[in-house]
Amino acid sequence: MSRRIIILILLFTATLIASFTATIILNPATPSELKGLAKYYVLNTINETASPEAVTAIVWDYRGLDTIYETLVLYLAIVGGLAMFKMSEEALLKTRIGLTLLSKTSTKIVALLIASIAAAIVFHGHLSPGGGFPGGSAVAVASMIIIPVFAAGTLIEKGVSSTKLVAIRGAALTALGLVALLPVVKGLEIVTNQRFYPASILGLPISGSLSLYNLFESLAVASGFTAIALYLSIPEEAHKGGSGA
Amino acid sequence: MVVVLEAFTYILIIAVLGLNALVSIYGIVYGRSLVKKLISLTILSDTVLVAVIFAGFYYAYPIVPPVYQDLAGAGREFLVKHASDPLPQALVLTGIVIGLAVNALIAFGIIQAYRLAKTTDARKVVEVLSGVEVTE
Amino acid sequence: MITSILLLIIAPLLSIFFVYMAVTEKDLLKAAAYSAGQSIAYSILLQAMSTPDIVMTYIAVSVGLYSALLVFVISKTERFER
Repeated sequence: MSRRIIILILLFTATLIASFTATIILNPATPSELKGLAKYYVLNTINETASPEAVTAIVWDYRGLDTIYETLVLYLAIVGGLAMFKMSEEALLKTRIGLTLLSKTSTKIVALLIASIAAAIVFHGHLSPGGGFPGGSAVAVASMIIIPVFAAGTLIEKGVSSTKLVAIRGAALTALGLVALLPVVKGLEIVTNQRFYPASILGLPISGSLSLYNLFESLAVASGFTAIALYLSIPEEAHKGGSGA
Repeated sequence: MVVVLEAFTYILIIAVLGLNALVSIYGIVYGRSLVKKLISLTILSDTVLVAVIFAGFYYAYPIVPPVYQDLAGAGREFLVKHASDPLPQALVLTGIVIGLAVNALIAFGIIQAYRLAKTTDARKVVEVLSGVEVTE
Repeated sequence: MITSILLLIIAPLLSIFFVYMAVTEKDLLKAAAYSAGQSIAYSILLQAMSTPDIVMTYIAVSVGLYSALLVFVISKTERFER
């Protein structure tokens, strides 16, 4: 224990002294203005994409094809992970006890708060910082704390099953692909935003396809990680005997 | 005085990010358990992503996120001088998602390797799963 | 102005502590906790650079999902290294 603390203090002092002497010797010039391409994005994001948020506009409109491929990579990773395990609902139905009443009550309150904040992040993601992926991860965190506290067996009795979650994920990804492919009908490229989708409906600003992308991406991420948490909570005795074929 | 402090923070962050990368690479190479290697891999990828965002950072007071305050586009001049760079943020968002996907797959692989080899010691797992003796 | 420069100095030094303790710890649950602490130090640094999109995503993924994933994996494999 003491040897680690000594090396830690050595690292601290070495870093501080090295950076101090490098500042005095080198005297670097720190950057003080935006670079060229970022200036173009910040100036033109409202006119060309009808969204006052530069980061969401870059992620789903200016570089939308990158994000479609990233969603595909996440989908393939979850498929690969679920294929390595074996889902046995009988083994899950045996775990029913869960934790104490105190943790169950506090988890109910906390999970409800997390779900409402995640809804705010997703639905307002094209007008303020946020978007599809942070909202989906927050819902996944809420489900990852619900599954150990209320034991997985009670959730399976209430109708939550991995088939339904994977079906929700597939439906959300199909809808995402449709929103990306629909402009081809009119002869435009895929993943176009303002030339095909309206910028506001009935006075509500929806920025074309950006809010649709956020909604479907959050559904896909949340259901995918809830399925992973359900697979991970199968107790180990169900997998003894055999090499998991 | 402020200029010297700015230069000091610039060099300090570069040095600390480099040191974190070196310590986590040491953890990947010399770690004995597979889970320790996974933890060091997450630290390394996080450090690289913070370095990408730091490459687009500039010193302005105050520095604000690149969001317009209303839909008509008012406040353009203020944003051009004070907004943070939106392009590295978009790239890092993609990086975080792909890192999460790969790390989740590695975690599943570790559980499956433990079931087959009954240990998570990196050298013994290689010996049991492939039959090749690991010397030294 | 003073607070932003102060945060740019304190957050990296905090992260050195957590990274070193995470890499050289024999108890893997404590190493997972130190890794969550390192994520908090990095998110303070990212907030000082004013990138709220990344802060939201990074906290949800790194403090929430990675810690839960690592606790699941450690409970199914061994807890102590070597």
